Amino acid sequence: MKSMSKLAVFLFFTATSMAVFAQDGGYLEVNTVVQTEEAYTDEAGELRTRLVAAEKVVPGDEVIYTVTFKNVGDEPAENVVITNPISADLTYVAGSAFGASSSVQFSVDGGKNFAAAEDLTVSEDDAARLATPEDYTHVRWLFSNDLAPGAQGVVRFRARLK
Amino acid sequence: MLAHPAWSAGTSAGTVIENVAQVNFDISGLNITLDSNVVSLTVAERVDVVVALQSPEILAASGEVDSGLLFTVSNTGNGSEAFSLEIDSVLAGDDFDPTPAVPAIYFDTDSSGDFSVGDVAYQAGVNDPVLAADASINILLVNDIPTTASNGQRGRSELNARSLTGSGSVGTIFNGQGDNGVDAVLGMTGGSGAATGVYLISDVQVQILKSVVVADPFGGAEPVPGAILNYAISIEVTNSGTAANAVVTDVVPTNTTYVSNSLQVNSSALTDAPDLDAGELNTSGVATLVVRLGDLTQSDGRQTVTFQVSID
Repeated sequence: MKSMSKLAVFLFFTATSMAVFAQDGGYLEVNTVVQTEEAYTDEAGELRTRLVAAEKVVPGDEVIYTVTFKNVGDEPAENVVITNPISADLTYVAGSAFGASSSVQFSVDGGKNFAAAEDLTVSEDDAARLATPEDYTHVRWLFSNDLAPGAQGVVRFRARLK
Repeated sequence: MLAHPAWSAGTSAGTVIENVAQVNFDISGLNITLDSNVVSLTVAERVDVVVALQSPEILAASGEVDSGLLFTVSNTGNGSEAFSLEIDSVLAGDDFDPTPAVPAIYFDTDSSGDFSVGDVAYQAGVNDPVLAADASINILLVNDIPTTASNGQRGRSELNARSLTGSGSVGTIFNGQGDNGVDAVLGMTGGSGAATGVYLISDVQVQILKSVVVADPFGGAEPVPGAILNYAISIEVTNSGTAANAVVTDVVPTNTTYVSNSLQVNSSALTDAPDLDAGELNTSGVATLVVRLGDLTQSDGRQTVTFQVSID
Protein backbone atom coordinates (compact mmCIF):
# COMPACT_ATOMS: atom_id res chain seq x y z
CA MET A 1 0.00 0.00 0.00
CA LYS A 2 2.86 2.32 0.83
CA SER A 3 4.45 1.96 -2.57
CA MET A 4 1.18 2.65 -4.31
CA SER A 5 0.74 5.96 -2.58
CA LYS A 6 4.29 6.98 -3.54
CA LEU A 7 3.49 6.20 -7.16
CA ALA A 8 0.40 8.35 -6.98
CA VAL A 9 2.41 11.30 -5.69
CA PHE A 10 4.98 10.90 -8.46
CA LEU A 11 2.29 10.87 -11.14
CA PHE A 12 0.73 13.96 -9.63
CA PHE A 13 3.95 15.97 -9.91
CA THR A 14 4.66 14.81 -13.43
CA ALA A 15 1.23 15.88 -14.54
CA THR A 16 1.67 19.26 -12.85
CA SER A 17 4.98 20.08 -14.54
CA MET A 18 3.59 19.10 -17.93
CA ALA A 19 0.72 21.42 -17.37
CA VAL A 20 3.11 24.32 -16.72
CA PHE A 21 4.76 23.80 -20.13
CA ALA A 22 1.43 23.61 -21.85
CA GLN A 23 0.23 26.85 -20.33
CA ASP A 24 3.30 28.79 -21.39
CA GLY A 25 3.35 27.37 -24.90
CA GLY A 26 6.95 26.21 -24.24
CA TYR A 27 10.18 28.17 -23.94
CA LEU A 28 12.58 26.83 -26.49
CA GLU A 29 12.03 24.61 -29.48
CA VAL A 30 14.88 22.32 -30.39
CA ASN A 31 15.14 20.28 -33.56
CA THR A 32 17.79 17.93 -34.90
CA VAL A 33 18.48 16.51 -38.37
CA VAL A 34 21.10 14.15 -39.76
CA GLN A 35 22.38 14.70 -43.28
CA THR A 36 25.17 13.80 -45.65
CA GLU A 37 27.12 15.94 -48.05
CA GLU A 38 26.47 15.44 -51.74
CA ALA A 39 28.61 16.80 -54.55
CA TYR A 40 26.82 18.38 -57.50
CA THR A 41 27.54 20.69 -60.41
CA ASP A 42 25.61 23.96 -60.48
CA GLU A 43 24.29 25.85 -63.55
CA ALA A 44 27.63 27.63 -63.93
CA GLY A 45 29.42 24.28 -64.07
CA GLU A 46 30.98 24.75 -60.64
CA LEU A 47 31.41 21.69 -58.45
CA ARG A 48 29.59 22.31 -55.17
CA THR A 49 28.34 20.36 -52.21
CA ARG A 50 24.95 20.37 -50.55
CA LEU A 51 23.38 18.63 -47.60
CA VAL A 52 20.86 15.92 -48.28
CA ALA A 53 18.91 13.53 -46.05
CA ALA A 54 21.20 10.80 -44.69
CA GLU A 55 20.28 7.71 -46.63
CA LYS A 56 22.52 4.90 -47.85
CA VAL A 57 25.16 5.69 -45.24
CA VAL A 58 27.85 2.99 -45.12
CA PRO A 59 30.89 2.54 -42.85
CA GLY A 60 33.47 5.24 -43.49
CA ASP A 61 30.89 7.83 -44.60
CA GLU A 62 30.55 11.14 -42.80
CA VAL A 63 27.22 12.38 -41.52
CA ILE A 64 26.38 15.87 -40.30
CA TYR A 65 24.13 16.53 -37.33
CA THR A 66 22.52 19.94 -37.17
CA VAL A 67 20.64 21.12 -34.10
CA THR A 68 18.51 24.27 -34.39
CA PHE A 69 16.90 25.94 -31.41
CA LYS A 70 14.59 28.92 -31.05
CA ASN A 71 13.26 30.90 -28.15
CA VAL A 72 9.49 30.73 -28.62
CA GLY A 73 8.73 32.19 -25.19
CA ASP A 74 8.44 35.76 -23.93
CA GLU A 75 11.58 35.91 -21.82
CA PRO A 76 15.27 35.63 -22.67
CA ALA A 77 16.89 32.24 -22.08
CA GLU A 78 20.15 32.40 -20.17
CA ASN A 79 23.05 29.95 -19.99
CA VAL A 80 21.89 28.00 -23.02
CA VAL A 81 23.70 24.67 -23.44
CA ILE A 82 23.10 22.26 -26.32
CA THR A 83 24.26 18.70 -25.64
CA ASN A 84 24.42 15.97 -28.25
CA PRO A 85 25.47 12.35 -27.69
CA ILE A 86 27.89 10.72 -30.12
CA SER A 87 26.75 7.18 -30.83
CA ALA A 88 29.22 4.36 -30.15
CA ASP A 89 28.92 3.53 -33.87
CA LEU A 90 30.16 7.01 -34.82
CA THR A 91 33.44 8.84 -34.41
CA TYR A 92 33.41 12.60 -33.99
CA VAL A 93 35.35 14.32 -36.78
CA ALA A 94 38.06 16.44 -35.15
CA GLY A 95 37.45 20.17 -35.35
CA SER A 96 34.01 19.82 -36.92
CA ALA A 97 31.86 21.25 -34.11
CA PHE A 98 30.45 24.60 -35.18
CA GLY A 99 28.32 27.07 -33.26
CA ALA A 100 28.48 30.87 -33.41
CA SER A 101 29.45 32.58 -30.12
CA SER A 102 29.75 29.32 -28.26
CA SER A 103 32.48 27.33 -26.62
CA VAL A 104 32.65 23.63 -27.39
CA GLN A 105 33.32 20.92 -24.84
CA PHE A 106 33.44 17.14 -24.96
CA SER A 107 32.76 14.27 -22.61
CA VAL A 108 34.44 10.86 -22.53
CA ASP A 109 32.30 9.43 -19.72
CA GLY A 110 28.79 9.37 -21.10
CA GLY A 111 28.07 13.03 -20.41
CA LYS A 112 28.96 13.17 -16.72
CA ASN A 113 31.96 15.49 -17.10
CA PHE A 114 32.83 17.89 -19.87
CA ALA A 115 35.99 19.78 -20.82
CA ALA A 116 37.51 21.54 -23.79
CA ALA A 117 39.33 19.16 -26.19
CA GLU A 118 42.77 20.31 -25.04
CA ASP A 119 41.90 19.71 -21.36
CA LEU A 120 40.17 16.36 -21.71
CA THR A 121 42.11 13.28 -20.64
CA VAL A 122 41.49 9.54 -20.52
CA SER A 123 43.24 7.26 -18.05
CA GLU A 124 44.80 4.27 -19.74
CA ASP A 125 47.14 1.76 -18.07
CA ASP A 126 47.26 3.96 -14.97
CA ALA A 127 48.42 6.95 -17.02
CA ALA A 128 46.47 9.90 -18.30
CA ARG A 129 46.56 10.73 -21.98
CA LEU A 130 44.83 13.41 -24.00
CA ALA A 131 41.41 12.21 -25.19
CA THR A 132 41.02 11.68 -28.93
CA PRO A 133 37.83 12.02 -30.97
CA GLU A 134 37.46 8.22 -30.77
CA ASP A 135 36.94 8.64 -27.01
CA TYR A 136 34.22 11.28 -27.20
CA THR A 137 30.76 10.25 -26.05
CA HIS A 138 29.12 13.70 -26.07
CA VAL A 139 29.67 17.15 -27.50
CA ARG A 140 28.14 20.31 -26.08
CA TRP A 141 28.00 23.99 -26.88
CA LEU A 142 27.86 26.67 -24.15
CA PHE A 143 26.44 30.05 -25.11
CA SER A 144 27.58 33.09 -23.19
CA ASN A 145 24.92 35.39 -24.67
CA ASP A 146 21.27 35.21 -23.76
CA LEU A 147 18.85 33.94 -26.37
CA ALA A 148 16.26 36.69 -26.76
CA PRO A 149 12.59 35.89 -27.44
CA GLY A 150 12.22 35.03 -31.11
CA ALA A 151 15.95 34.52 -31.59
CA GLN A 152 17.36 31.25 -32.84
CA GLY A 153 20.67 29.48 -33.06
CA VAL A 154 22.25 26.55 -34.81
CA VAL A 155 25.05 24.13 -33.98
CA ARG A 156 26.51 21.42 -36.14
CA PHE A 157 29.09 18.64 -36.08
CA ARG A 158 30.32 15.85 -38.28
CA ALA A 159 30.80 12.21 -37.39
CA ARG A 160 32.13 9.24 -39.33
CA LEU A 161 30.34 5.91 -39.31
CA LYS A 162 32.58 3.18 -37.91
CA MET B 1 20.82 3.42 -29.58
CA LEU B 2 21.96 -0.12 -30.23
CA ALA B 3 25.35 -1.21 -29.04
CA HIS B 4 27.20 -3.17 -31.73
CA PRO B 5 30.64 -4.69 -31.78
CA ALA B 6 33.10 -2.67 -33.82
CA TRP B 7 33.51 -4.82 -36.93
CA SER B 8 36.65 -4.20 -38.84
CA ALA B 9 34.32 -4.17 -41.85
CA GLY B 10 32.36 -1.46 -40.06
CA THR B 11 29.04 -1.03 -38.33
CA SER B 12 26.64 -3.79 -39.33
CA ALA B 13 24.16 -3.12 -42.09
CA GLY B 14 20.72 -2.38 -40.67
CA THR B 15 22.03 -0.86 -37.45
CA VAL B 16 19.75 2.01 -36.40
CA ILE B 17 21.54 4.99 -34.86
CA GLU B 18 19.19 7.31 -33.02
CA ASN B 19 20.06 10.78 -31.88
CA VAL B 20 18.36 13.18 -29.49
CA ALA B 21 19.87 16.58 -28.76
CA GLN B 22 19.21 18.28 -25.47
CA VAL B 23 18.94 21.96 -24.60
CA ASN B 24 19.42 23.29 -21.10
CA PHE B 25 18.76 26.90 -20.14
CA ASP B 26 17.58 29.26 -17.41
CA ILE B 27 14.47 31.37 -17.66
CA SER B 28 13.41 33.60 -14.77
CA GLY B 29 15.66 31.65 -12.44
CA LEU B 30 14.17 28.33 -13.51
CA ASN B 31 16.55 25.71 -14.96
CA ILE B 32 14.92 23.71 -17.71
CA THR B 33 16.10 20.81 -19.89
CA LEU B 34 14.28 19.87 -23.09
CA ASP B 35 14.83 17.06 -25.60
CA SER B 36 14.74 17.47 -29.35
CA ASN B 37 12.93 15.21 -31.75
CA VAL B 38 14.49 11.77 -32.33
CA VAL B 39 16.43 11.55 -35.56
CA SER B 40 17.43 8.12 -36.77
CA LEU B 41 19.90 6.82 -39.27
CA THR B 42 19.81 3.29 -40.67
CA VAL B 43 23.19 1.94 -41.75
CA ALA B 44 23.13 0.76 -45.35
CA GLU B 45 25.01 -2.31 -46.54
CA ARG B 46 28.39 -1.79 -48.12
CA VAL B 47 29.13 -4.61 -50.55
CA ASP B 48 32.81 -5.49 -50.81
CA VAL B 49 34.78 -8.65 -51.49
CA VAL B 50 38.49 -9.41 -51.63
CA VAL B 51 40.04 -12.48 -53.23
CA ALA B 52 43.58 -13.34 -52.20
CA LEU B 53 45.94 -16.06 -53.43
CA GLN B 54 47.13 -18.31 -50.62
CA SER B 55 49.33 -20.74 -52.55
CA PRO B 56 52.68 -19.42 -53.55
CA GLU B 57 53.76 -20.25 -57.11
CA ILE B 58 52.85 -23.93 -57.37
CA LEU B 59 55.34 -26.38 -58.86
CA ALA B 60 53.66 -28.76 -61.29
CA ALA B 61 54.74 -31.37 -63.80
CA SER B 62 53.59 -31.41 -67.40
CA GLY B 63 50.66 -33.80 -67.75
CA GLU B 64 49.82 -33.54 -64.03
CA VAL B 65 46.09 -33.76 -63.24
CA ASP B 66 44.05 -32.04 -60.51
CA SER B 67 46.62 -29.53 -59.33
CA GLY B 68 45.07 -27.12 -56.82
CA LEU B 69 45.61 -23.41 -56.21
CA LEU B 70 44.37 -22.11 -52.86
CA PHE B 71 42.54 -18.77 -52.57
CA THR B 72 40.66 -16.96 -49.82
CA VAL B 73 37.44 -15.09 -50.53
CA SER B 74 36.68 -12.50 -47.83
CA ASN B 75 33.51 -10.48 -47.30
CA THR B 76 34.92 -7.08 -46.40
CA GLY B 77 31.50 -5.43 -46.44
CA ASN B 78 29.28 -4.86 -43.40
CA GLY B 79 26.48 -7.25 -44.21
CA SER B 80 25.87 -10.86 -45.12
CA GLU B 81 26.51 -11.56 -48.81
CA ALA B 82 26.38 -14.49 -51.22
CA PHE B 83 29.04 -14.70 -53.90
CA SER B 84 29.26 -16.42 -57.25
CA LEU B 85 32.62 -17.88 -58.24
CA GLU B 86 34.23 -18.26 -61.65
CA ILE B 87 37.49 -19.63 -62.96
CA ASP B 88 39.46 -18.19 -65.86
CA SER B 89 42.52 -20.10 -67.00
CA VAL B 90 42.83 -18.44 -70.40
CA LEU B 91 44.88 -15.43 -69.39
CA ALA B 92 47.39 -13.28 -71.19
CA GLY B 93 50.96 -13.01 -69.98
CA ASP B 94 51.79 -16.64 -69.41
CA ASP B 95 53.38 -19.49 -71.37
CA PHE B 96 50.52 -21.99 -71.37
CA ASP B 97 46.88 -22.23 -70.37
CA PRO B 98 46.10 -24.67 -67.57
CA THR B 99 43.01 -26.80 -68.33
CA PRO B 100 40.28 -26.39 -65.71
CA ALA B 101 39.21 -29.73 -64.28
CA VAL B 102 35.49 -30.55 -64.35
CA PRO B 103 34.38 -29.26 -61.93
CA ALA B 104 37.21 -26.79 -61.39
CA ILE B 105 36.18 -24.90 -58.25
CA TYR B 106 36.12 -26.56 -54.84
CA PHE B 107 35.65 -25.57 -51.24
CA ASP B 108 38.62 -26.55 -49.09
CA THR B 109 36.15 -28.57 -47.03
CA ASP B 110 38.78 -30.48 -45.06
CA SER B 111 40.89 -27.32 -44.50
CA SER B 112 43.93 -29.18 -45.81
CA GLY B 113 45.02 -26.26 -47.98
CA ASP B 114 45.25 -28.49 -51.03
CA PHE B 115 42.89 -30.39 -53.28
CA SER B 116 41.82 -33.62 -51.60
CA VAL B 117 39.09 -36.26 -51.69
CA GLY B 118 36.85 -34.65 -49.07
CA ASP B 119 36.62 -31.27 -50.81
CA VAL B 120 33.12 -30.34 -52.05
CA ALA B 121 32.73 -28.97 -55.56
CA TYR B 122 31.23 -25.51 -56.06
CA GLN B 123 28.11 -25.32 -58.20
CA ALA B 124 26.97 -21.88 -59.30
CA GLY B 125 23.49 -21.08 -58.03
CA VAL B 126 23.43 -24.20 -55.85
CA ASN B 127 26.00 -23.71 -53.11
CA ASP B 128 27.16 -20.14 -53.63
CA PRO B 129 29.10 -19.29 -50.45
CA VAL B 130 27.23 -16.99 -48.09
CA LEU B 131 29.62 -15.03 -45.91
CA ALA B 132 28.82 -12.90 -42.87
CA ALA B 133 30.50 -9.51 -42.60
CA ASP B 134 34.25 -10.04 -42.09
CA ALA B 135 34.00 -13.80 -42.76
CA SER B 136 36.12 -15.59 -45.32
CA ILE B 137 36.30 -19.00 -46.99
CA ASN B 138 39.05 -20.96 -48.68
CA ILE B 139 38.51 -21.92 -52.30
CA LEU B 140 40.58 -24.19 -54.56
CA LEU B 141 40.94 -23.85 -58.30
CA VAL B 142 41.79 -27.22 -59.80
CA ASN B 143 43.53 -27.43 -63.17
CA ASP B 144 45.18 -30.09 -65.29
CA ILE B 145 48.58 -29.26 -66.75
CA PRO B 146 48.86 -29.81 -70.52
CA THR B 147 51.45 -32.37 -71.60
CA THR B 148 52.80 -29.74 -73.98
CA ALA B 149 53.86 -27.46 -71.11
CA SER B 150 57.61 -27.66 -70.73
CA ASN B 151 60.04 -27.12 -67.92
CA GLY B 152 60.27 -23.54 -66.59
CA GLN B 153 57.03 -22.42 -68.24
CA ARG B 154 54.31 -20.65 -66.29
CA GLY B 155 50.54 -20.94 -66.62
CA ARG B 156 48.07 -18.68 -64.79
CA SER B 157 44.59 -19.33 -63.43
CA GLU B 158 42.24 -16.73 -61.95
CA LEU B 159 39.44 -16.92 -59.39
CA ASN B 160 36.68 -14.32 -59.65
CA ALA B 161 34.16 -13.71 -56.88
CA ARG B 162 31.12 -11.53 -57.49
CA SER B 163 28.47 -10.38 -55.06
CA LEU B 164 25.04 -11.76 -55.95
CA THR B 165 23.48 -8.48 -54.82
CA GLY B 166 25.34 -6.88 -57.69
CA SER B 167 28.68 -5.60 -58.86
CA GLY B 168 29.97 -2.74 -60.96
CA SER B 169 31.03 0.84 -60.31
CA VAL B 170 31.86 2.03 -56.82
CA GLY B 171 28.86 3.77 -55.28
CA THR B 172 26.23 1.92 -57.33
CA ILE B 173 23.09 1.64 -55.22
CA PHE B 174 20.76 -1.34 -55.04
CA ASN B 175 17.65 -0.06 -53.30
CA GLY B 176 16.37 -2.39 -50.63
CA GLN B 177 18.75 -5.18 -51.66
CA GLY B 178 20.86 -5.19 -48.50
CA ASP B 179 20.45 -7.10 -45.25
CA ASN B 180 16.91 -6.83 -43.87
CA GLY B 181 15.87 -4.66 -46.80
CA VAL B 182 18.30 -1.79 -46.25
CA ASP B 183 19.88 -0.25 -49.32
CA ALA B 184 23.08 -1.85 -50.62
CA VAL B 185 25.93 0.29 -51.91
CA LEU B 186 28.96 -1.02 -53.80
CA GLY B 187 32.16 -0.23 -51.89
CA MET B 188 35.69 0.27 -53.12
CA THR B 189 35.89 -3.23 -54.63
CA GLY B 190 32.75 -2.70 -56.71
CA GLY B 191 31.35 -5.93 -55.30
CA SER B 192 33.80 -8.17 -57.10
CA GLY B 193 37.32 -9.41 -56.63
CA ALA B 194 39.88 -11.60 -58.38
CA ALA B 195 43.29 -13.09 -57.79
CA THR B 196 45.59 -15.10 -60.01
CA GLY B 197 47.65 -18.15 -59.18
CA VAL B 198 50.60 -19.50 -61.14
CA TYR B 199 51.71 -23.01 -62.05
CA LEU B 200 55.43 -23.33 -62.69
CA ILE B 201 56.45 -26.42 -64.63
CA SER B 202 59.26 -28.33 -62.99
CA ASP B 203 60.03 -31.74 -64.42
CA VAL B 204 62.80 -32.27 -61.93
CA GLN B 205 62.93 -35.72 -60.28
CA VAL B 206 64.62 -36.57 -57.03
CA GLN B 207 65.74 -40.10 -56.16
CA ILE B 208 66.69 -41.12 -52.65
CA LEU B 209 68.40 -44.38 -51.75
CA LYS B 210 69.26 -45.51 -48.24
CA SER B 211 71.64 -48.38 -47.41
CA VAL B 212 73.21 -49.79 -44.25
CA VAL B 213 76.38 -51.78 -43.53
CA VAL B 214 76.72 -53.56 -40.16
CA ALA B 215 80.05 -53.93 -38.36
CA ASP B 216 79.94 -55.97 -35.15
CA PRO B 217 82.61 -55.71 -32.42
CA PHE B 218 84.04 -59.07 -33.47
CA GLY B 219 84.97 -58.14 -37.02
CA GLY B 220 81.80 -59.65 -38.45
CA ALA B 221 78.52 -58.22 -39.72
CA GLU B 222 76.07 -59.40 -37.02
CA PRO B 223 73.57 -56.84 -35.67
CA VAL B 224 74.39 -57.51 -32.03
CA PRO B 225 74.53 -54.98 -29.16
CA GLY B 226 77.58 -52.77 -29.64
CA ALA B 227 77.54 -53.30 -33.43
CA ILE B 228 77.92 -50.14 -35.53
CA LEU B 229 75.37 -49.45 -38.30
CA ASN B 230 76.86 -47.38 -41.13
CA TYR B 231 74.01 -45.62 -42.92
CA ALA B 232 74.36 -43.98 -46.32
CA ILE B 233 71.64 -41.88 -47.98
CA SER B 234 72.21 -40.90 -51.59
CA ILE B 235 70.23 -38.19 -53.34
CA GLU B 236 70.24 -37.65 -57.05
CA VAL B 237 68.38 -35.07 -59.11
CA THR B 238 67.56 -35.88 -62.72
CA ASN B 239 65.75 -34.18 -65.61
CA SER B 240 65.66 -30.45 -66.09
CA GLY B 241 64.76 -28.12 -63.28
CA THR B 242 65.85 -27.41 -59.73
CA ALA B 243 64.96 -29.15 -56.48
CA ALA B 244 64.91 -26.01 -54.36
CA ASN B 245 66.01 -26.10 -50.71
CA ALA B 246 66.48 -29.86 -50.59
CA VAL B 247 66.65 -31.10 -46.99
CA VAL B 248 67.36 -34.68 -45.89
CA THR B 249 65.99 -35.74 -42.51
CA ASP B 250 66.37 -39.15 -40.95
CA VAL B 251 65.30 -40.36 -37.51
CA VAL B 252 67.85 -42.26 -35.40
CA PRO B 253 66.34 -45.81 -35.20
CA THR B 254 64.92 -46.99 -31.86
CA ASN B 255 67.25 -49.11 -29.71
CA THR B 256 70.23 -47.45 -31.29
CA THR B 257 72.40 -44.50 -30.28
CA TYR B 258 73.82 -42.00 -32.69
CA VAL B 259 77.63 -42.08 -32.81
CA SER B 260 78.77 -38.53 -32.01
CA ASN B 261 80.31 -36.53 -34.85
CA SER B 262 79.72 -39.29 -37.39
CA LEU B 263 77.54 -37.14 -39.68
CA GLN B 264 79.08 -36.42 -43.10
CA VAL B 265 77.95 -35.05 -46.43
CA ASN B 266 79.98 -36.07 -49.49
CA SER B 267 82.69 -37.30 -47.09
CA SER B 268 82.98 -33.91 -45.35
CA ALA B 269 82.32 -33.93 -41.61
CA LEU B 270 79.41 -31.94 -40.21
CA THR B 271 79.18 -30.93 -36.56
CA ASP B 272 76.29 -32.29 -34.49
CA ALA B 273 75.46 -28.84 -33.15
CA PRO B 274 72.83 -26.64 -34.85
CA ASP B 275 75.24 -24.06 -36.28
CA LEU B 276 76.18 -22.54 -39.58
CA ASP B 277 77.20 -25.75 -41.32
CA ALA B 278 74.75 -27.75 -43.43
CA GLY B 279 73.75 -30.35 -40.86
CA GLU B 280 73.02 -31.21 -37.25
CA LEU B 281 71.50 -33.70 -34.84
CA ASN B 282 68.16 -32.31 -33.76
CA THR B 283 67.54 -33.55 -30.23
CA SER B 284 64.26 -31.75 -29.58
CA GLY B 285 61.86 -34.69 -29.63
CA VAL B 286 62.97 -37.86 -31.39
CA ALA B 287 66.68 -37.61 -32.29
CA THR B 288 66.75 -36.68 -35.98
CA LEU B 289 69.58 -35.97 -38.38
CA VAL B 290 69.06 -32.97 -40.64
CA VAL B 291 71.19 -32.07 -43.66
CA ARG B 292 70.43 -29.09 -45.88
CA LEU B 293 71.62 -29.65 -49.43
CA GLY B 294 70.37 -26.36 -50.88
CA ASP B 295 69.20 -26.07 -54.49
CA LEU B 296 70.05 -29.20 -56.46
CA THR B 297 70.13 -29.75 -60.19
CA GLN B 298 71.18 -32.67 -62.34
CA SER B 299 74.65 -31.12 -62.78
CA ASP B 300 75.28 -31.34 -59.02
CA GLY B 301 75.44 -35.12 -59.33
CA ARG B 302 74.90 -37.61 -56.54
CA GLN B 303 74.91 -36.27 -52.96
CA THR B 304 75.71 -38.69 -50.16
CA VAL B 305 74.89 -38.27 -46.48
CA THR B 306 76.43 -40.80 -44.06
CA PHE B 307 76.20 -41.35 -40.33
CA GLN B 308 76.66 -44.11 -37.75
CA VAL B 309 74.58 -45.47 -34.91
CA SER B 310 75.43 -48.20 -32.40
CA ILE B 311 72.99 -50.89 -31.31
CA ASP B 312 72.06 -50.50 -27.62
